Amino acid sequence: MLEQVPLQRLGHTIIVTLQGDLDDATVERIERAVTDEVAKVRARGVLIDVSGLAVVDSFVARVIARLVGMVALLGAVSTIVGIQPAVAITLVELGVPMDHVHTALNAEQGMARLRRMWDDTTGYRR
Amino acid sequence: MAEAGVDSALTAYETMIDSVTDYEIIRLDPEGTILTWPSGAKQLTGYSAEETVGQPLSMLYPSDEVPAERLLGELRVAADKGRHKIESWQSRRDGARFWASAVLTPIHGHDRSISGYVLVARDVSEAREQELAMRSMEQMLDAITDYEVIRLDQQGVVRSWNPGARTLKQFTAEEVIGHHVSMFYTEEDRRSGLAEREMAAAARAGRYETEGWRVRKDGSRFWSSISLSPIRDDKGEVTGYVKVARDLTDRREQEQLVQRQRDEILELSTPVIQVWDKVLVLPIIGTLDSARAARLTESLLERIAVDQAEVVILDISGVPAIDTDVAQHLLKTVEAARLMGTTSILSGVRPETAQAIVHLGIELGRLRSRNSLQDALQLALRLVGGGSADERVNAHA
Repeated sequence: MLEQVPLQRLGHTIIVTLQGDLDDATVERIERAVTDEVAKVRARGVLIDVSGLAVVDSFVARVIARLVGMVALLGAVSTIVGIQPAVAITLVELGVPMDHVHTALNAEQGMARLRRMWDDTTGYRR
Repeated sequence: MAEAGVDSALTAYETMIDSVTDYEIIRLDPEGTILTWPSGAKQLTGYSAEETVGQPLSMLYPSDEVPAERLLGELRVAADKGRHKIESWQSRRDGARFWASAVLTPIHGHDRSISGYVLVARDVSEAREQELAMRSMEQMLDAITDYEVIRLDQQGVVRSWNPGARTLKQFTAEEVIGHHVSMFYTEEDRRSGLAEREMAAAARAGRYETEGWRVRKDGSRFWSSISLSPIRDDKGEVTGYVKVARDLTDRREQEQLVQRQRDEILELSTPVIQVWDKVLVLPIIGTLDSARAARLTESLLERIAVDQAEVVILDISGVPAIDTDVAQHLLKTVEAARLMGTTSILSGVRPETAQAIVHLGIELGRLRSRNSLQDALQLALRLVGGGSADERVNAHA
């Protein structure tokens, strides 16, 4: 099951790559794989890479929001990276609520952002 | 044959004549004196029998249009030809005139000599008006050389052609009348039944306007503006269409030129400047309309993706006025940039702009703002520096 979901582990971070057409079955499989993995390795951060998605509609936006929520319940933080210009415009024009989602330009900055967020949640800074 | 029989037949005949109301049927003696005055004549002219019987026929005609001598001439012609038609004005008792179509027929006695005439006249003013109107309409259409004004029948077959149509399409009237209007359409439009669809739309809506490619006689295309209106009969049934068309090729080319220039200006008016590694500045100058705002958002996001810019400074010191729309455009741009992972800083907010934004109730949310571009740049460099400091540690803890 895990092989079908593109997951990578880098230190305390899990990188999930969303690509292609997402249907309900795929989404469920990804959710199960990510939550299992976060719990198993006690990950601190999840990096969700959506640069492979040419289209992000409100369905995909909900999927991302759900994933972020599940990860938070498991005690980790998450960041979305690689939102394409056209996707960003579409999301804003559609008015899809994305306030709760943290974003970064690329994986490198996403990792940095996850680290800052983790520090914030643990009270390391502030 | 008994005299009494003839008399009664004559009476019956005169009764019949008397019951005809739309025609003026009068008997004249050989010299043109009015002998009978049935009710039709009375109704048409307003004169009573007392006023007319025994008077010359010329009293029914306005002397300036039809002098008495001419009427006598007409009588002679009728006598010679056996039947003579006169179309002219006739006077009414109240001084008004009507256009009368009259037929003068001689009555021959037993010895073949003329014993009198019958004049049958009717009021054709309306028909004449219509004919004149029609003729002036035709002359009008003929005078129109810049526009094609043609008539199609119910099926779309060309029924009239004007010089404008000839100039536009190069066909002569003989070459097109009786042919279907689709002959002027492009091959693909003909196949798809565009002409029929346009006529149906015109019949439905009462008028149909469109623009499209049409074909001249030599096969060349031109961009045409077309207006199609249905012609309806008294019952409201569509009996045909009037089509007015004009060559817009020049205008279309001009419009495209203007559009191209506008695009170029838009391109020029939304420059994105990289001022530092991972820091972009977007100086917005002039009024932001939605087309320009969309272009601005697009080019900014593209640059963010290419340069992987972490901070963008939106400098609005060159925007004359901030209204709700402009603010919405800016906020959308900021939000889209945020989704990509880029922080936006607003700079160049003037005091009156700050007042306007708050008075308009525009919520700027977490958007950071700095008074000058210099301050904004300082903030940007700190943000970028902070990020890279973190990046020195490869993986977090």
